[in-house]
Amino acid sequence: MAAPETSTAAVPTLYTNNTLRNAFGGVLSFFILLLIGVMAFSIRLFSVIKYESVIHEFDPYFNYRVTQFLAKNGIYEFWNWFDDRTWYPLGRVIGGTVYPGLTLTAGTIWWLLNSLNIPLSVETVCVFTAPIFSAFASWATYLLTKEVKGTGAGLTAAALLAMVPSYISRSVAGSYDNEAVAIFALIFTFYLYIKTLNTGSLFYATLNSIAYFYMVCSWGGYTFIINLIPMHVLLCIVTGRFSSRLYIAYAPLVVLGTLLAALVPVVGFNAVMTSEHFASFLVFIIIHVVAFVYYIKGILSPKMFKVAVTLVVSVGLAVCCAVIAVLIALVASSPTKGWSGRSLSLLDPTYASKYIPIIASVSEHQPPTWPSYFMDINVLAFLVPAGIIVRLKACFLPLSDASSFVVLYIATSVYFSGVMVRLMLVLAPAACITSGIALSQAFDVFTGSIKFQLTGASSNTEVDAAETSSSTAESQTDAVKTQKPEETAKNRPSRKSKKKEREHGEKPSTKAKAEKKRLLALPLESSVISLLLLVLLGAFYVVHCVWAAAEAYSAPSIVLTSRSHDGLHVFDDFREAYAWLSHNTDVDDKVSLVGYPSDDINKFLWMVRIGGGVFPHIKEPDYLRDGQYRIDSQATPTMLNCLMYKLSYYRFVETDGKGFDRVRQTEIGKKYFKLTHFEEAFTTHHWMVRIYKLKPPKNRIRGKTKKSKSKTSSTTSSPKRSGSKKKNPWQ
Amino acid sequence: MAAHFFTLSIITLSLFVVASSGGLESELVADLLTLQAESKSGVIHLDDRTVSKFLTSPRTPRPYSFLIFFDAANFHDKPELRLRELRREFEIVASSFITNHNSSNTKLFFGDIEFRESQSSFQLFGVNSLPHVRLVGPTAKSLKDDSDVMDQGDFSRLAESMAEFVESRTKLTVGPIRRPPALSKMQLGLITALLLLCLPLVAKRIFAGETLLHDPKIWLSGAVFLYFISVSGAMHNIIRKMPMFLVDRNDPNKLVFFYQGSGMQLGAEGFAVGFLYTVVGLLLAFVTHVLVYVKDATAKRLAMLFTLLVSFWAVKKVILLDNWKTGYGIHGFWPSSWN
Repeated sequence: MAAPETSTAAVPTLYTNNTLRNAFGGVLSFFILLLIGVMAFSIRLFSVIKYESVIHEFDPYFNYRVTQFLAKNGIYEFWNWFDDRTWYPLGRVIGGTVYPGLTLTAGTIWWLLNSLNIPLSVETVCVFTAPIFSAFASWATYLLTKEVKGTGAGLTAAALLAMVPSYISRSVAGSYDNEAVAIFALIFTFYLYIKTLNTGSLFYATLNSIAYFYMVCSWGGYTFIINLIPMHVLLCIVTGRFSSRLYIAYAPLVVLGTLLAALVPVVGFNAVMTSEHFASFLVFIIIHVVAFVYYIKGILSPKMFKVAVTLVVSVGLAVCCAVIAVLIALVASSPTKGWSGRSLSLLDPTYASKYIPIIASVSEHQPPTWPSYFMDINVLAFLVPAGIIVRLKACFLPLSDASSFVVLYIATSVYFSGVMVRLMLVLAPAACITSGIALSQAFDVFTGSIKFQLTGASSNTEVDAAETSSSTAESQTDAVKTQKPEETAKNRPSRKSKKKEREHGEKPSTKAKAEKKRLLALPLESSVISLLLLVLLGAFYVVHCVWAAAEAYSAPSIVLTSRSHDGLHVFDDFREAYAWLSHNTDVDDKVSLVGYPSDDINKFLWMVRIGGGVFPHIKEPDYLRDGQYRIDSQATPTMLNCLMYKLSYYRFVETDGKGFDRVRQTEIGKKYFKLTHFEEAFTTHHWMVRIYKLKPPKNRIRGKTKKSKSKTSSTTSSPKRSGSKKKNPWQ
Repeated sequence: MAAHFFTLSIITLSLFVVASSGGLESELVADLLTLQAESKSGVIHLDDRTVSKFLTSPRTPRPYSFLIFFDAANFHDKPELRLRELRREFEIVASSFITNHNSSNTKLFFGDIEFRESQSSFQLFGVNSLPHVRLVGPTAKSLKDDSDVMDQGDFSRLAESMAEFVESRTKLTVGPIRRPPALSKMQLGLITALLLLCLPLVAKRIFAGETLLHDPKIWLSGAVFLYFISVSGAMHNIIRKMPMFLVDRNDPNKLVFFYQGSGMQLGAEGFAVGFLYTVVGLLLAFVTHVLVYVKDATAKRLAMLFTLLVSFWAVKKVILLDNWKTGYGIHGFWPSSWN
């Protein structure tokens, strides 16, 4: 749990040039990483400890079902599976409509374990996929941050990510959804991009495309990658930092990545046809034009080059214009300009609230308020600006490619998170990376100051030595920045020295390059206090994250608890109802779920609105009294006569004689009524789920209905009218 | 014969009466069409006289419905009533309806009544709160009781929901809402021309490497600013159109800056907390990057003291505010033997 502190404590050990110490640091960081992985895994087990090892919510159950099918029938059957039970009565072509990454991952893990003779059930594997991948995600964060800043920052960032609440909320054990593996894929893709950018190695470029492919398999959020990376490439080009490394990092990603993405059935030709991907193609053209210009510049004399440049630029511009024109024509031909409604509402935040109520209605798509940030990234919110500014260290130098990428990543993701609360998930890794950088930088400065004050003059000489060595390393790396592809081999050793230089760079003393002989340390006592406060801040973060994991984000939705003055109540009505269904219905019986996994009357608003979109005679105002939904005696007649109200409150008055709804703290409006087409079949203990049987339609030949024998039941999950006194009508 | 003549005269007489009443109605419609054509948006301005002429005097069923917007110029500056915005949307519905029907539909007219100049009409309709939109159908006898009032819900999606209201009550189709484009063609042309003129300049600067983007300071501060905007929940304020502060209901002289409950926030509140979020990071960066270069030891000490105090206060303030606003009690999980 004390990983952030431990990890930063490890950093000073890495400073010295001593090889033994370096090796010791390496081993230490390996163990720290291991512990971080264990922590990332174990902090997500609260849901299993507090409840049990079950899969949460609706979508995860669907994913679980698909995984079961995959485990049983194999991959080919899976691709061609037409599931007639999902999206009933339409059915769903599973292979063509799911992002298969998660299912295939869990299926592979299950297969691997079983072939090693570890007989875990598919459910167990599914429940624990998300915690396992969050450990991977924190290791990927370590790699990425290490590429950007250094080992210390990497370890800090990994520890922060392992327990960031925003990510925990989507990856607790049992939350078996796409995001569980996608965040790892996202971070890993970014890491490989930066790695390629730093090394210029085609090997990493290929790996990068494969990681991108995995991301496309896993989550629709891959469009974020395919827009962010081109943005960064464009930024590099515009700021005059084009290099062959940039080309190698980008061109293979676009070509291979797009080809691979098109292999995923759910994406298919969208990978080349929708506007979300056009930015990458445009930048692809631009980078080629720029590369061509650089090439020409290399082989021609300056005079000839001037002549050529006019030619090339004009041709390039003409090609660009033509392509842009084609793109615009393509885009303009679709009504939403080729963008999905969700993407549009990211570009223009007010779009959804104005034009698409169904997107605006989803609680995940609401814009967050400030407490959301405090809840989801907690104290990182304080540290991120420092992390951004850290790069100002290179005040007089242009930003390095890697750090400009991180700044771009945090800027875009923080904007997106401001528009939609669910994108806080994309912000979380960026916030962890920048805060990790900031935190480790601060620790370096403060511990360095303390060390400097305590050891006094003796370290001065050391500092000078470090300065000279690092400045030579720096000049070397500067040369590397403009190197030719042939020099890649030479590049590697210099990368290492650069890394070393970075580690030295953490030390405030290195900054003395410009202003030599300056006392750079901060006062001793204030450094100590600052350190203490930072540790306190980290401790608060840990407490908050554990609390969030334990209390806020671990509820499995299928089992509910409520704490009242007389102790803890557990509501297991859903599974009670499912058990009833599996005992009392045939395999082929049609059971339709009416209602939503929350309180039906609360969700009523959306049923009416969405229903009104298809059947215009359903009008929202008919259900409203003074602009409010009410179910008490003030409710409108339409409301009191509608099926949802009746199914929810049928015979409800028999519970306590008054019909008092405890959720709404009010007496219901209409207490006695009969049902025409439905017959109550079963009601669970707490009245959360009620199962009705559809009566055979009147005025029809009886034999016919008997023959079809479809026992159509209708399940409504009704409000939590808790109460131990209430009698189960079937007891 | 005489009987014949008598019946004939009765028939002619009744014919004449019918014709004259029909004539009166068509006259009214023609008048309305002229008024509609005179008005820029197609919304007819009504006052006490015209209300009686077009609505109270003619016998029911009238040949037209009237959708009336009740306006009050002296309340235009009250943002919570949204009168200006609703009025603009109302005009959009009116003009869309008229253009979609080529100004030839005489079944529905749009009108507005101003409070100051036609107070008696307001009383006639029994309107005592704004915003208020009312549909007077052809058969409505009493303006107060027989006409339909547009609910708050029908304003919610502005012109679109108003049009739905009209369509559901009158069985007329409004057709697509035609909003005026955000930029006129003239402006669009000018902007394109300007962009084209700027293009070579921008290209030249990019090649010369002199754009703002080349200065990391500028876009780092841009990133921090964007961060500040986002964490302060400004997007929430823009999308929900939240005011900066509210007036206390119990005491009108007091202003409410902080709203309790996590689903909503006020503008000033967001910016205040966003500032607290940002300032701690900036101070930390200041200490690690700027302060280490300062020579003077006392200045360093004082600056550090200031930084520590401000950061501590800011973090504490945010934690307290968060606990107050959301009502969460964040607690650690200590071993039970410690208690």
